[in-house]
Amino acid sequence: MNENVDEMTFEESLRKLEELVGMLEEGSLDLDKSLEIYENAVKLRDRCRKILEISERRVQKIMETSGGIQKEDI
Amino acid sequence: MVSQTMSSSPAITVSELNERAKAVLGSAVSVNDVWVSGEISNLTKHTSGHYYFTLKDKMSEIRCTLFRGARNTLQFEPAESLKVTAFGSVDVYVARGSYQFNVATMRRSGIGDMYTALEELKKKLKEEGLFDDSRKRALPRYPKVIGVVTSPTGAVIHDIIRVAGKRFPADILLAPVLVQGDGAAASIVRGIELMNTQDVDVMIVGRGGGSAEDLWAFNEEPVARAIATSRIPVISAVGHETDFTIADMVADVRAPTPSAAAETALPDIYGELRIVDHMAARAHGHITASVERMRNRFKVIDSKLSPKRAGERVNIEIKGVTELHRRASSSIRSLLNLKKGGFMLADAKLSPKRAGDAVGQYMLRTDDFSDTADASVRRMLAEKRARSDSADARLNAVSPMSVLERGYGFIRAPDGKALISVSQLTLGSDIEITMRDGTAKAKVNGVIKNE
Repeated sequence: MNENVDEMTFEESLRKLEELVGMLEEGSLDLDKSLEIYENAVKLRDRCRKILEISERRVQKIMETSGGIQKEDI
Repeated sequence: MVSQTMSSSPAITVSELNERAKAVLGSAVSVNDVWVSGEISNLTKHTSGHYYFTLKDKMSEIRCTLFRGARNTLQFEPAESLKVTAFGSVDVYVARGSYQFNVATMRRSGIGDMYTALEELKKKLKEEGLFDDSRKRALPRYPKVIGVVTSPTGAVIHDIIRVAGKRFPADILLAPVLVQGDGAAASIVRGIELMNTQDVDVMIVGRGGGSAEDLWAFNEEPVARAIATSRIPVISAVGHETDFTIADMVADVRAPTPSAAAETALPDIYGELRIVDHMAARAHGHITASVERMRNRFKVIDSKLSPKRAGERVNIEIKGVTELHRRASSSIRSLLNLKKGGFMLADAKLSPKRAGDAVGQYMLRTDDFSDTADASVRRMLAEKRARSDSADARLNAVSPMSVLERGYGFIRAPDGKALISVSQLTLGSDIEITMRDGTAKAKVNGVIKNE
């Protein structure tokens, strides 16, 4: 699991967010820890939203040439 | 005999000869309503809608006509080199003295064989378990790259790119392949293999709609095997919704169209946004509740008061104030006495009555001071009590009772002393267990201390 939120994939962010919500709901944490977890949850939500808002899709084609397998943008 | 017949018969016209030939052939069962198989060549499509072509085999050929009405009965489009079986009758073209075959309808040869072979292949692959649901792999929920194995020029890739642009963001990698004609199956197999060398999460294999022959490559065994052995899960999207090929049966998921395949591969953005926001709302709800709960506890901790200690504090305060009162009174009295003495000494000229009056004045002022002191003491006491009450109220808010609601109990000795350690217990100790809705009296029948 990537610990740097800005580099996390959507799936990693969502899993981590689920995990943090679970920890908060368990309710056995002190306030400082809860606040820290909540702040991280907000960061993860923002990361998820940011990924969903990406509008660019890279489209490439793969080809076999004498030099091996190559990819190029369409 | 031959010469006699030749001499005695009057000559007939060319036209009549051809008419007679036409009549003979037209009534001959052996050349009427027959099935003839051969290969189409020299196909001419006349603007009238009639088709003309030659049907041939290795040894021989015959001109054929396919009139517009007959052509409408066909399930396929005639083409050069196609092997067909034509149903019709021989006819003579009187004007040219040539004969031809008038086609009433025709079928592609070998189609029956193809379907028989298809059914056999289906049966074989089914017995091998290639169509089993237990073989179907789950698709990744959030693919980063989706592979597409299809024609680079068809509508399929464009439909997929268009739909993918509106779905969960993923890159698209196309393996351009031939999807029909000679070598299509081998090309599709290579495309699937190539995709498996790449970092691709899910792939779509397919093509747009077409005739059964156009889709045929997707019914071939090598394609079925390539899909079955693919490391990457495969979504098939072959032809239209009604087309069902072997590739569809082997694929992990069959999509009815290329657009549907893209929708299957990639989740809906708004659905995901709802999930994320719901999760964040849950976190927010819990943190708000936690902060509120903790704030209450902090207030109590800050006050450093338990109800018992609050009472003690009040008593201490009362003692202190009483002492203050006593000291105040005594100091006033001694001051008064001093003044009284001084007064008497300083003003010997004063009459006893005036001295008495002066003392009376001081006494009044002393009492007044006492009253003022009493009032401030009472106010201090009231404030202390109020603080104690409010501490009680806050303590109730975090009382063990709210914990009991969640299924915990607390244990006390019969004298009410809280028991927090097993070292306070011995075999046979009487204990009281307080639960949410009452108290149980119990005896300890064993004590085990954690190491």
